[in-house]
Amino acid sequence: MNHQLAPSSLWRRALRERSFCVGAGFMLLLALIAFFAPALAPHNPNDQDLLAVLLPPFWVDGGTMDYPLGTDGLGQCVLSRLLYGTRVVVTIAVAAPIGAAAIGCTLALLAGYQGGWLDWMITRFVDLWLSFPAVLLALILMVALSPGLQNVILAIVFVDWARFCRVVRADVLVIRRREYVAAARISGARTLGVIWREIVPGIVPTLIALMALEISIAVVAESILSFAGMSVGSQTPTWGAMISDGLNSMYSSPYPLLLPVFCMILTVLAATFMGQGLRQATDVRSLERNGAA
Amino acid sequence: MAWRMTCQVMWRIPMLVLISLIVFVILRGIPVDPVNMLMPPGASTEDIARMSHQLGLDRPVIVQFLLWLQDAARGDFGTSIQTGTPVLAMVLEALPTTLQLLVYGFVIGLVFGLGSGLLSFRLRGTRYEHLIMAVNGIMTAIPDYLWAIILIVTVGVGLQWLPFIGAIDPGLQAPVVTGFSLIDSLLDGNLRAFFSVISHLTLPALTFGLCIATPIARVLHSSLTEVYHEDYIQAARLRGVGEGPLLMRHALRNAALPTVSLIGVQASVIIGGTLLIESIFGLPGIGALMLRALGAFDLQTIQALALTYAITVQVVNMFTEFAMHKLNPGLRSQS
Repeated sequence: MNHQLAPSSLWRRALRERSFCVGAGFMLLLALIAFFAPALAPHNPNDQDLLAVLLPPFWVDGGTMDYPLGTDGLGQCVLSRLLYGTRVVVTIAVAAPIGAAAIGCTLALLAGYQGGWLDWMITRFVDLWLSFPAVLLALILMVALSPGLQNVILAIVFVDWARFCRVVRADVLVIRRREYVAAARISGARTLGVIWREIVPGIVPTLIALMALEISIAVVAESILSFAGMSVGSQTPTWGAMISDGLNSMYSSPYPLLLPVFCMILTVLAATFMGQGLRQATDVRSLERNGAA
Repeated sequence: MAWRMTCQVMWRIPMLVLISLIVFVILRGIPVDPVNMLMPPGASTEDIARMSHQLGLDRPVIVQFLLWLQDAARGDFGTSIQTGTPVLAMVLEALPTTLQLLVYGFVIGLVFGLGSGLLSFRLRGTRYEHLIMAVNGIMTAIPDYLWAIILIVTVGVGLQWLPFIGAIDPGLQAPVVTGFSLIDSLLDGNLRAFFSVISHLTLPALTFGLCIATPIARVLHSSLTEVYHEDYIQAARLRGVGEGPLLMRHALRNAALPTVSLIGVQASVIIGGTLLIESIFGLPGIGALMLRALGAFDLQTIQALALTYAITVQVVNMFTEFAMHKLNPGLRSQS
């Protein structure tokens, strides 16, 4: 593993991976859509047109250009809802990995560097955390917290920090034994200084790969929560809620179901490609070994 | 051996208690007051206070938890506020459906996973290997509940091959002996019910199977590739062992280790997947029960089901650890 990976060289190596470029390009597009959703969407995503319920998309007989991708069971514009739905996706894709990385890394550095009983406690706790279905824990948390975007992020971070902690801790254990760390300690650097200047740069590749992986996991987790009706409130359009609504009107019109499913799959694929590209660029093997990938 | 098995079980008990405690504490943060939901709308403040005292809700959380634990140890998980029936009975009634789904899905996943893993390895060096692995990569990215929807739309609605709603045809009923409808209908000799149950279970199990097949195939493929670089494979080949026996007897046994360990590590993810699959396919398992309980703030049921899930994961972990020990003599001598 290359521990002197400068950010600029990592960036260049990532750009050489085709899968990274495709995935990151799509995610960038998604972010732009999310930002310009009010300008792009032909309708208010929550406006109901009860005279135009379950219209098909424009390329099918009976569809109109008024509702380019048709309407759902409540007469809401599918395209507008899809466009606005990207806002939740992008927010989750940015916030959840950062939050989970912050908590997971802090605990991993504490556990891996200090060792002893603290390490034992944190490791057991991570094992415990990972032995409980993440979806379930997130759902239970969402029952206790009230619906809302912040709480969804909180729930996903609360569930997913453990994976970060386990993988990063394994890295810290390896780096801690390196000679340059010992040298820094002998030369009188304080503990925090050693952690910050000697250990943290070493875990950056793993961290980047993990965060890229977390994007797709978090996006899927949010869609599961909103599919179960336990995510952001019903006023905010999400793809998961659209899929759940579409399932109910599947027999009358499959489009309100298939279109968000298609968007969801594309997004997860893009996030996965981005993660794979980054993993190849950073060359992190420890992910597979620890069952995170 | 027996001693080790006992230890295996013993050290998992504190984990289960701790998971229950975490869930318990989280559920106390609920925005709805559970007492208010039990009382009629016009109940007086004294009545409410008396009720919360009766339920022990006016005591510290840790005391409440210990009381719950005490009851739970005796098999009393309280009553559900949705139905008014004991929670344990509800869970035990729903559990067989989930276990049937898990086992059936696991068999399908193993067949597909081992099959495509071995196939892609057999075709190594050709473009089919890359093709299989590329398809595998795409399939891995699709989350389980979307698989459920894709299968419903294609196989269920499009081709109309298999039913996708409910556990059995509306006109039929599986007899109840053990609770496992597949076993019961066979015991009863009711073949129509058996085929109805198994056809209703096939799509959910296929969904579940596909989700475990993809990682199994990937890990098996990469560990087989790794194993074939080892010297003992070369040695066996020089001794004149044919390619077939070489793969089956020498390589697969070692390559199976990472695969089994993957199943153990991923057990919680795999089991969590049944939650949505069940409610999408309308199977009356513990996942569907859980989602209903979550929607109705049915705390006792949520608490008991969380424990059930935790136990299921631990049991799967014990199986995989057992399999690891059987496959790898090195692990046996260590312990």
